[in-house]
Amino acid sequence: MTRRGLWIGLSLAAVTAVLLFVLAKGFGRDPHEVPFQLRGKPAPDFTLKRLDTGAPVKLSDLRGKPIVINFWASWCGPCKMEHPVLAMSAKRFGQEFQFYGVVFEDTEENARAFAGSPDPSFPQLVDERSRMAVDYGVTGVPETYFIDAQGVLRDKVAAPIDPRTMMEKLAALKQPAGPVSEVVR
Amino acid sequence: MTSTLGTTLVLGGLLAAAFGAVVGIEGGLRHRAGALKIVLGAVTAFLLCMLGANLTMVYALVTHDFSVHYVAQVGSRATPLVFTVVSLWSALEGSILFWGAILAVYVFAFARSHRNDPPTNPLLALGTMMAVAVFFAFLIAGPANPFGRVSPVPPDGPGPNPLLQNHILMVVHPPMLYLGYVGMVVPFGIAVAALLRGQLGDAWMAVLRRWTLIPWTFLSVGIVLGSWWAYAVLGWGGYWAWDPVENASFLPWLTCTAFLHSAMVQERRHTLKLWTVSLSLASFLLTILGTFMTRSGVFNSVHSFTQSEIGPTFLVFLGAVLVVSVFLIAVRGPLLVPEGTMGGVASRETAILVNNLLFAALTFTVLLGTLFPLVREAFSGVKISVGAPYFNRMAIPLGIAILFLMGVGPSLPWGRASPETMRRQFLVPAAVGLGVIILSLAAGLRGASTLLTFGLAGFVGTVTLREMLLPVRVRMREQGEAFPRAVWQSARRARRRFGGYVVHLGVVLVFVAIAASQSYVVHTTATLKPGERFQLGSYTVQMTGLRDGSDPHRRWTAAEVRVTDAGGREHLLAPRMNFYERSTDPIGSPAIRSAAFEDLYLTLLAFDQAGPSASFNAWIFPMVSWIWWSLPFFVLGALFAAWPERRRDRAGAAERVSVPSDARSPGAAA
Amino acid sequence: MTAWVLGLVLAAYAPQQAGSALLDPPREARVQALGKQLRCPMCQGLSIADSNSSAARAQMDKVRELVAAGKTDQQIRDYFTSRYGEWALLEPPASGMNLLVWLLPLALLVGGGLAIARTMRRPAVVASVPASKPEDRPPADDPYLEAVRAELRR
Repeated sequence: MTRRGLWIGLSLAAVTAVLLFVLAKGFGRDPHEVPFQLRGKPAPDFTLKRLDTGAPVKLSDLRGKPIVINFWASWCGPCKMEHPVLAMSAKRFGQEFQFYGVVFEDTEENARAFAGSPDPSFPQLVDERSRMAVDYGVTGVPETYFIDAQGVLRDKVAAPIDPRTMMEKLAALKQPAGPVSEVVR
Repeated sequence: MTSTLGTTLVLGGLLAAAFGAVVGIEGGLRHRAGALKIVLGAVTAFLLCMLGANLTMVYALVTHDFSVHYVAQVGSRATPLVFTVVSLWSALEGSILFWGAILAVYVFAFARSHRNDPPTNPLLALGTMMAVAVFFAFLIAGPANPFGRVSPVPPDGPGPNPLLQNHILMVVHPPMLYLGYVGMVVPFGIAVAALLRGQLGDAWMAVLRRWTLIPWTFLSVGIVLGSWWAYAVLGWGGYWAWDPVENASFLPWLTCTAFLHSAMVQERRHTLKLWTVSLSLASFLLTILGTFMTRSGVFNSVHSFTQSEIGPTFLVFLGAVLVVSVFLIAVRGPLLVPEGTMGGVASRETAILVNNLLFAALTFTVLLGTLFPLVREAFSGVKISVGAPYFNRMAIPLGIAILFLMGVGPSLPWGRASPETMRRQFLVPAAVGLGVIILSLAAGLRGASTLLTFGLAGFVGTVTLREMLLPVRVRMREQGEAFPRAVWQSARRARRRFGGYVVHLGVVLVFVAIAASQSYVVHTTATLKPGERFQLGSYTVQMTGLRDGSDPHRRWTAAEVRVTDAGGREHLLAPRMNFYERSTDPIGSPAIRSAAFEDLYLTLLAFDQAGPSASFNAWIFPMVSWIWWSLPFFVLGALFAAWPERRRDRAGAAERVSVPSDARSPGAAA
Repeated sequence: MTAWVLGLVLAAYAPQQAGSALLDPPREARVQALGKQLRCPMCQGLSIADSNSSAARAQMDKVRELVAAGKTDQQIRDYFTSRYGEWALLEPPASGMNLLVWLLPLALLVGGGLAIARTMRRPAVVASVPASKPEDRPPADDPYLEAVRAELRR
């Protein structure tokens, strides 16, 4: 093998090794997952009005009990499918946790019609221009956020939530917050 | 029964491929003349097995045999027949099976056309191709098996992905890309054969070049069709998002294009051999990498519909091919000693060498940008994005440099150019280019890189047309031929040259179209009630009403508008919003009004049945249709260049080869 | 079947409001420019200016609100990166390890250019295989004459 060949071979081999390593590491990671930077940080304050009464609801007033916030829209099929899970959880755990729904990118009339069809077992809030949703880093609907009693954003589920996940997240919400760690995969 | 038949055929193909690979490589290395017939037999067997397996699958799809796993996955009794057949490649397993068939056809065609050649080279080439076929046959037989049996047999299936039934382009775009991708196996085999033998002569080089032009053409068509589909269906008004899978198809196209030019230097000056062979290997490697990127589920992309388990298998194969290629280049590459020299700085071969570098840099940049988020995540766990702004920033200067070379290269002679020559060659085209810029400025157009692109387009267009018409003028003058006959005769005698320049004209069109459609977009957004209107450019758009409808797999609402253009003509358009059961967001369908020099593009943003009212997004994209109009240039140019000439006895032809030869006769200005 | 009925029900409820009212041209141009730099969270690689999805529209509204409130471009970018991380920027900021993606292509170009220049100056190594092709003839410095010669020879 000539010297020129050796140089070419070694540099190409190095590049190949790095490439294969990087690609292999990609397995198991979800490429569609969006980073959730607010984990462990205080939940941004908001003032939204209730869909049914129009009364204002402020986050800072809700401190003391953990909060579950669910973002949905009338044009979102999976939102309708997950709604019973939330309604049931609100009924069962409404003493320990506060459940709120926030309408995302939708008109009030549509929301009222949608929220009217299963009975509104937890208050729905209107988010004008989805300001609060963007503040929370919402990437789409449905999404459910979990805030502890001290007002710290602990976790989120960026998909229709099932009963088992709901139980897990609620249980975790009652634990005191651990040190802020990297996103656990 | 169908399952068993299919699986048997696939296994048979696997055996045939393995046999062919071993006999081919071994026979080639030991110069066994009799082995070629055996390998030809193996190739034929592989072809029959693959075609048989594909036909079996199509039969199963058409008869709705839901006991077959793939049919249960994508079949449906409600789907029209055309889309049932098309669903062969609508999901992963079927598309790999389809790959196998295309691969078999390509390899068979190669084997047939070289069956009477001196056997060593074809043996090595076919052995390599069969080795690749082994991998794919293994995939079909194992991890990506479409023929598995399903029990209990379901009564019906979900049907293919609705997006694939939306538009005729989705029927054509995937097969075109497959024909391009899979076709890269053949030049790969030929190049590996050259490296194994440590020599690359003229005849084998011609073989390598011809068998690269075919997949290149299909790949070009596939890419343009893909961008057309993105524009016409996805509704954001763009045609290229630098999405990982788009990049995956672009990368081998880049190295392949560079190869086609580097090959010219190889043939005329007998130098740049290692460059040429490396580019050929790179094209195949990037094809495999591209398939990995599309199918592994590792990348976030518009195409990642299906996550699959074939990722790790593919990665192993990619690793193996990389290692083999690197080894061959490093150990055997230096044996490809140049037999000629490069000319001076101002020579065509130097221009092509610089062209090689620019293409390599562009390939590297696109590859780096696509992989970089993965790199960062692998090493530090941080998720970043590398998107369109990055790629545009890097690609535009490189693209402009390449466009410039497109005018310089054909103007320079092989060897050495005197200042006299340079002045004569460049004066008029440069003047035209400058003229275009001045006219554009006078017309009120602005934007440095856009104007530069227009100017260079004028420069390159002039050069290309001159080079095409030069021999025409000579013929008309010397032999008194009429213009049409002179054109045909000149083109016929210099097919590659003529065809190549036709493709260059197409490329110039694309550059101009991209520059104009990116820089001079006009956009507005408006909410209308029926009867109300808004103005955009010279168009008046008036809403007339809302309309609902439904298809088997979706419901939609359309906003009907009446568009009046500058000439007073009226057009009725209806941008839509489609609701599919499975997606959370509705998917819009744009309405496009295409004129010669611009497109009016409307999408429906929101609507209110109660109003009624509708909100629209409207754009005017200048020149964007010219991108699709460049396709005939690509296809006709490439077809013309690749068309085999009538075999002629050549004075000085040493070998008697059965390859339809299109090497230039002595002294031709090819 | 349920999905079908669901679909029927859904279509009756119109989706989405349109975006917020546009600002005056100079500020709206800033909004659009920023929109092209920020990544839509639920699309595949599109910017929020390009995407038609609901999340993108909500974020464009937020950008518009922040521009109207007088925030600088950097402050607006920081707002989004504090929620989505560096991932939200479509062009990786040129710092730290990200510099690689900016500098490596440049290095390749420059390095390659230098290598080519060096090769041009060095005398070429030529194999002893006799070239039967008439590339040996004196370098053609007049392509027009060559073309004429070629045509007449046919």
